Amino acid sequence: MTEPIVDVRELTKIFPTTEGGDKRAVDGVTFSVEAGKIYGLLGPNGAGKTTTLRMLSGLLTPTSGVARLNGFDVREQREEAKRCLGYLTASTGLYQRLTPRELLRYFGELIDMEAGAITRRIDELIHWLDMKEFADLRCGGLSTGQKQRTNIARALMGDPPILVMDEPTLGLDVLTNRVVLDFIRAEGARGKAVILSTHYLDEAESLCDQYGLIHDGKLVGIGDLATLQAQAGKRRLSEIFLKLCGQDEHVLTGVPERSAGGAA
Amino acid sequence: MKRYRRVWTVYRKELIETLRDRRTLMAMVLVPIILYPVLMVVLVEALKSEAGRQEKEQYFVAVPDEAHKAWLEKVFLREEAAREAEETAASIAAEKVGRSAEDATSAFRTQLRAEQITINVVPEDQLWDQVSTSRYHAAVIIEPPPDPKRPSDGRNRVVQILYNDTSPLSEVMHRQLAYVLSNEMDRIVRARVRDISGSEDLLSPMIANTISTTSPDRQFAKALAMIVPFLLVTMTVTGAMYPAIDLTAGERERGTLETLAVSPVPVGQIVAGKFGVIMTIAMVTTTLNLASMTAVIHFSGLDKLFSGNRMEPASVELGVEAEIFSRAADESGMAAAQRDNLQRRREIERESEKSVGFIASAAPIVLVSMIPFAVLFSAVMLAACSFARTFKEAQNYMMPVMMSAIVPAMIVSYMPTVKLEGPMLVIPVANIVVLMRELFLGNYDLSAISLCLGSTCFYAAAAVVVANRIYGNESVLFSDVGSYKTLILRRFMRPQQRPSAAFSLLTVATLFPLYFYAQSGLVDLSAGSTRNLSMIVASQVLFFAAPVLFLTWYTKTDFAETFSLRVPRPAHLLGTMLLVASIAPVTLFLQSVQFYFFPASDALRTMQNQMGQLVEGAPWYVMIVALALTPAICEELLFRGFLMAGLKDRISQFKTILVVGVIFGLFHYQLEKIPIVTLMGIVLAIVCLRSGSIFLAMIVHLANNGVGVAAERFEFFRLWLDLPEDATALPPMEFNIRIAFFLAILIFGLMLFAAKPTRRSDATSPALA
Repeated sequence: MTEPIVDVRELTKIFPTTEGGDKRAVDGVTFSVEAGKIYGLLGPNGAGKTTTLRMLSGLLTPTSGVARLNGFDVREQREEAKRCLGYLTASTGLYQRLTPRELLRYFGELIDMEAGAITRRIDELIHWLDMKEFADLRCGGLSTGQKQRTNIARALMGDPPILVMDEPTLGLDVLTNRVVLDFIRAEGARGKAVILSTHYLDEAESLCDQYGLIHDGKLVGIGDLATLQAQAGKRRLSEIFLKLCGQDEHVLTGVPERSAGGAA
Repeated sequence: MKRYRRVWTVYRKELIETLRDRRTLMAMVLVPIILYPVLMVVLVEALKSEAGRQEKEQYFVAVPDEAHKAWLEKVFLREEAAREAEETAASIAAEKVGRSAEDATSAFRTQLRAEQITINVVPEDQLWDQVSTSRYHAAVIIEPPPDPKRPSDGRNRVVQILYNDTSPLSEVMHRQLAYVLSNEMDRIVRARVRDISGSEDLLSPMIANTISTTSPDRQFAKALAMIVPFLLVTMTVTGAMYPAIDLTAGERERGTLETLAVSPVPVGQIVAGKFGVIMTIAMVTTTLNLASMTAVIHFSGLDKLFSGNRMEPASVELGVEAEIFSRAADESGMAAAQRDNLQRRREIERESEKSVGFIASAAPIVLVSMIPFAVLFSAVMLAACSFARTFKEAQNYMMPVMMSAIVPAMIVSYMPTVKLEGPMLVIPVANIVVLMRELFLGNYDLSAISLCLGSTCFYAAAAVVVANRIYGNESVLFSDVGSYKTLILRRFMRPQQRPSAAFSLLTVATLFPLYFYAQSGLVDLSAGSTRNLSMIVASQVLFFAAPVLFLTWYTKTDFAETFSLRVPRPAHLLGTMLLVASIAPVTLFLQSVQFYFFPASDALRTMQNQMGQLVEGAPWYVMIVALALTPAICEELLFRGFLMAGLKDRISQFKTILVVGVIFGLFHYQLEKIPIVTLMGIVLAIVCLRSGSIFLAMIVHLANNGVGVAAERFEFFRLWLDLPEDATALPPMEFNIRIAFFLAILIFGLMLFAAKPTRRSDATSPALA
């Protein structure tokens, strides 16, 4: 078995609440991801997915626990760890007054790439993501799909071995959605470790190799689909999820049931 | 190298993006280049047309009867005749001194001509209403009424003028009437004197003439010095505001901040790049504004308009005075010295006509003095905007920041007597405004300038550090991660070992001007020494010890760690004893070396004398407590405790010692004391940092101050310091075996601190608390 490239142990984040108490947004999360695998971090809104990913990408400092990217501790070796990672969300913005080409050059320079390497990499990405027709227009005027492609190119600029995607398809139209999902698949196939958080369970089921089901800051289920199916005794991911969260019995309480014949 | 390249990358990108933004360009380029000329042209035209309108307007004066009317008309005609005669005399005189007649007579043109004034008879009981309803511009009643048959009857009369304050034309008429009537009185008096003595000479025992020694340029500069610094301050803050918001809150709002935060670039480098852009835009805006203003003033003839008030009267006077001078010279032959002055004045005027214009030559130096101000406000704005999550929120924060720049600038603009001295040197914003004014007036005091710029840079550095800290803070980075209340309220604070560098620097930067304010309140020579000494103690406690103790408690910071409350090791104790024995003589010697090469200024001597007077008559133990013990405790708590604790985690030991020393030096704002106090601060920082015990620094500090104080009363200490008999004189520089001995002890003492790295083993140096 290969060494996991992402290694998370007992990761915890506590936020102070406005009432003066503590909120354990992420509570002792442990998982690992190997290169070439797509890991789905699934859970409802507010479960702690985003906080976990932000800790992984160095945006938040963990309260306790360790997360290693490619062997680098995100807290102790923040810069090195960040270099191993491409980060993408659906809400990520672009610099309106730069063109995609300038934007990519900017991020290339920020990660200390050489000028020649930057130009080569930009040409490669423009070709690969089919960005030719809008590469020299200002980002402010691009369509949603073009923006998301530019964003993907930005995340891939340094060709990082790990990709962290926080709800990358939230609010996107069908076409753009497709671009993003295809790209995730392709990157997985190229040997990258992808951590994907989403609450679209169907989407996850078609993409991911491994899952971590997170609820109230805790991982309630870990493993591939078969493992989870066995653990929960359910077949579909959404059913498994409800079961493991302890919500399956209560969800429909109070809703009058229709007769079986009517539903069919 | 990589670090600078990244900062440069951020800077270049932000600058390109900012310059591509139409809104910035509008504020930065369009406003100064188009709006100013337009505004100024409109202003000039408006002023001209207003003046022209007054000249063309018809004025109506009401009088109670025909006798009044006839008399008044005659007075106006006499006045006009007299004026024409004066004008002719002035233009002849002006031509004599090589001026155009046009220039010389222009001053008279502000007077109304007789044909502009219509005098009507109105029943006496209606005069008031006619004027108050603005149907007439003025009314004149003379008591007893003039007698048309005997124009000069030798009686004294009372003249009443009614006018309407709210009508501008009525005001003009009122002024004109007052002027004409006073001239008429003058004529009557002359006539009476002539009748009695046969000549008017009795009325002119003396002719006063005044000559300004300032060139018209400088006179113009004085007017500009009032308004330009204020304008520049306003422009700089307005210029910096938009990019400051856009680069922080704007970036957050557009969702690009996250991408920047996940890039492997430390926050400090991002902030540095952004800060550079804000500053650049601020300075470019200021430069463009100043350039545009200069050009407009130069080309639009606004300076001519100014000179209408300032320069030309000089020429007119000159013409008239030339007449008087030549008369006086012819008559008495005694006016040679006066004629020389007149000659000089003419030269100055010719010079200023040739020069490029004052504002153009003063502009560069004024711009340079704007740089520290731009640095400060760019940093403050960056810090304030870093708090905001949206553009709108940031705009709200900007209001108080802008006010804090503009209001002091405005206040100082209206206080032309405020000089760059005392606490004014270090009051943020105000010091720069006063500095610019002084530069405009051509006053250069190097020590004042350097302290002024130095303190501003210090505030700016603190603001940058704070911006840095806020910008990278996660509760500010993500709106869903609690509110920024978590940064402010104590119940959200988590216990920490030491204060952060940003926090300790900010604290010190805030205390800096406050402390100066308190110090200036201290100097009261008339008050007794008890009051003065207790004020010194109070200011030390209130501005040094109390704030840091409170803040340490409030932020739940570890007292023992922050203030280095540790039992020292024996070797360090020995080192301290050696320093105690040698520090006072050595500092005194170094001081004398400094004054040998750079003699002490009068200001310093005055200050030391004042210090002596302040504490005169106090018992020695009170002086020891106030001038040695209190500073030793309070200053150590602030500088070697709070400040150093914040810095030492962030920068190297060497830099920490240096920075603590320099800041300590800056607090003693007499420029000449800064070097020696800085050295002292460095020694104390070494002692505290290497031993891990603040008590040793306190002891050395106490020894240094205490020996100086004690030497004034006790022979023993006087001998120790080898002080001359005359207590007020500064000891001469003399390097002898005694000094060599003390220096050796001091160096050996310091070596005990430098020799071995401190082993922070808890067995040997347990924390007290």
